[in-house]
Order: sequence, then C-alpha cells, then structure tokens
Amino acid sequence: MEVLTGIITGIFFGIVLQRGRLCFNSAIRDLRLFRDNYLWKAVMLAIALETIAFHFMASAGWIHLNPKPFMPLGNIIGGLIFGFGMVLAGGCASGVTYRVGEGMTTAWMAAVFYGLFATASKKGFLKPIVKFLQGPVYRVNANSSTYKSGEIGPTLATIFHVSPWIPALIVTALLLWYVFGTKTSQRSGKGFNWYTTAILATLVAMFGYWTRSTFSEKPYGLGITGGWASIFSTLTGSHLNWEGAEVLGIIIGAFISAMAAKEFKLRMPRKASTYLQVLIGGIFLGLGASIAGGCNIGHFFTGVPQLALSSILAAVFFVLGNWMMTYWLYGRR
Amino acid sequence: MADVKIDKTLDVRGEVCPVPDVETRRALKSMKSGEVLEVLIDYPLSKERIPANVQKDGNEVIAIEDIGPSEWRILIRKK
Repeated sequence: MEVLTGIITGIFFGIVLQRGRLCFNSAIRDLRLFRDNYLWKAVMLAIALETIAFHFMASAGWIHLNPKPFMPLGNIIGGLIFGFGMVLAGGCASGVTYRVGEGMTTAWMAAVFYGLFATASKKGFLKPIVKFLQGPVYRVNANSSTYKSGEIGPTLATIFHVSPWIPALIVTALLLWYVFGTKTSQRSGKGFNWYTTAILATLVAMFGYWTRSTFSEKPYGLGITGGWASIFSTLTGSHLNWEGAEVLGIIIGAFISAMAAKEFKLRMPRKASTYLQVLIGGIFLGLGASIAGGCNIGHFFTGVPQLALSSILAAVFFVLGNWMMTYWLYGRR
Repeated sequence: MADVKIDKTLDVRGEVCPVPDVETRRALKSMKSGEVLEVLIDYPLSKERIPANVQKDGNEVIAIEDIGPSEWRILIRKK
C-alpha cells in the first residue's frame, strides 16, 4: 500500500504540476525578472488553502502535523544553495521532476545529479559535511494534539504558546488578502489557470499527507528530495519508500499529461554547455535541500502550511537565493 | 496564415527556462518599431508566458502557430 498510494499521489501531482506549469523556480523568478505574479499567486493560494486543510485534518485526528526541526544555519545556507540551484538547473525540485516526464533532457541531467547528491548527503560521503553545515538543531515539545507526540520543530504556535489555529487563521487571512487583493498577471493557453492549479494541488497535498501518514512510517506530506534519494538507494538494496514512489508517479503523471496535451518532446539545447550548467544546478539542488532539511515541496509546500519556523526560514532563503542567481545569470542586459 | 515579412528569427528550441523569454526580450530590444520577430519555441510554459509579457510591454502578438509536435512559432510586432 505504501508504494501504491505513493505512486497514485505522484501521478495526480504530476498531472497538476504539468498542466499548471507549477514550477517554484519560475514562480519566484518571474516576480522580479518579468514583474509577473501568475505562478506565485498559485503557490500562495495553495499554501493558504493547505494551511486550513492541514490544520483541519489534524484537528479531526486524521493526520498529525510534523513540523521539521529548526536549524537556522542549515535553513539559511541550504536555502541559498537550493535557490541558486533551481535557477542553474532551470527548475526547482518539482519543476525538474515533472519536466523529466515532459521529455526535457536538461531536466534528466539535473535530476540525476540532484538525486545522487541528495543520496550522498543523506547516507553517503557528504553526510558529515551536511551535518556540520546544518549547525545547531532545535526541537520543542508539542503543545497541541494536532502535532505528533513528542518533540517537533518549533512553529509559530509553539513560540507564542497559542492554539495552532490562531496563527493558521491569521496567516491564511493575510495570504488570501494578498492573493485576491492585488492584481494578477494575465496568461492564456492550454494550462490550468492559477487558482485551478492551487485548488487541485491542495487536494493532492491533502491526499498525500493522509496516505503517507497512514501507510508509511513517516507522518508527513508531499516531498521530492527524499524521494529521489530513495530511488537511488534502491540500487544498493533499500526498498522504495512512499516518497520515492511519489516521485516516480510525478514523472508518469507528467508524461501522460504532456502526451495528452501534445506537449511531450525530447528537448535538447544546442549548446552542450547548457548540460554543464544544469548538472551544477542539480548538485546544488541536492546539497542545498539536504542542508536546509527540505526542498521547495517538503519545506515550502508542505512545511510552511504547518507554520514550521524551519520551513518559513528556508522558504525565504530559497527566494533570496533564486533572485541573486537570476540577477547574475539573466538580470544584467 | 501569417503572411508577414519577418525581420528576425530567434530559435530557442531546447533551451532551459527562462532562456526563451529572456532572449525574446533582448531580441525585441535590439529591433526597430514595426519590425516582426519570429520566435521558434518548444517549451510549453514559455509559449504562454512570452505572449503575456511582450504584450504587457505594448508589443503586438500577431500569431501563435503549431509547427510540429510540441513546437510553436510566435510572431511579434515591435511597438
């Protein structure tokens, strides 16, 4: 069931990512480079909806929130490296993964090195360096039954000693005010529009959180980095976990979706040097996500809605890293 | 269709995100008012984002045509 529900979740997620063109690299970068907030609005609306959905599911007892431990140094350093990586690789963790299924050969290259370095960081020769760069790790005792029992990473609710619902409602209200109170860039085409993407992505995130918590050992929702590490670890005899199955599902889902929309093609850049750039980008993605304790899906998409301090801090530095590398690569005309 | 004189062609098929968008913007910058830029592209996200962004700058999108499996041609007239 673990592998089956992981694959099913992934297939749905892959379809939503491909149809919604939901790449966090584009979402973050377009804000500055093109003054375009189309995808950013999708991300922000999804996070607002997920915040309510996750807290509701946890209050109902269907899942337990499991905020990641707070590692200020790691969240910042890893966040920056991951932010650089997504620009170099031409996609974030989810962007690179869904484009593998669209036939983008540069994404294949980036994904392989992302996966190899994530694996080496979690279990291999890079582990001591990653641990060192993560710095001190902070955990607190859960103050509410919405969290898993025992120690958890601090959240806005644990810092202020309030019910998790209070910061959840405030953050959601602020996000919705931004999403619907400001002008949204226009776009037309075959893809889903931004709010459809956000609603569908939230449904996938809810289904993913519930199935992963129920059928695997880890109470958590969607992720990508651990999934690539799991896939590469099967080469050394480990079994494929829920997240690994989810990543395979994303590739399958994006492939089906791209084929159906006649958007599948083996895409190759003319300059061979592009492969070198995305290769380095992939290495940065794997290293950065490991040091930060998560990627744009594990942290940004699944951790921020739990209001985990670690995820919020990492997300801020994903954005800053992305903007810095965008400026160096594309900003100067 | 698209029986217009093309002044410049930009082939960005296979390029990674956001190179097609950035190159399009650079190409338009170097062109004169009224000239037509042809962009050959195979990346779905940019196919939707390029028309939106060039129009925001006041340029006219004359046509977006399918030219093959997941390949398109965008014709833009500079403001």
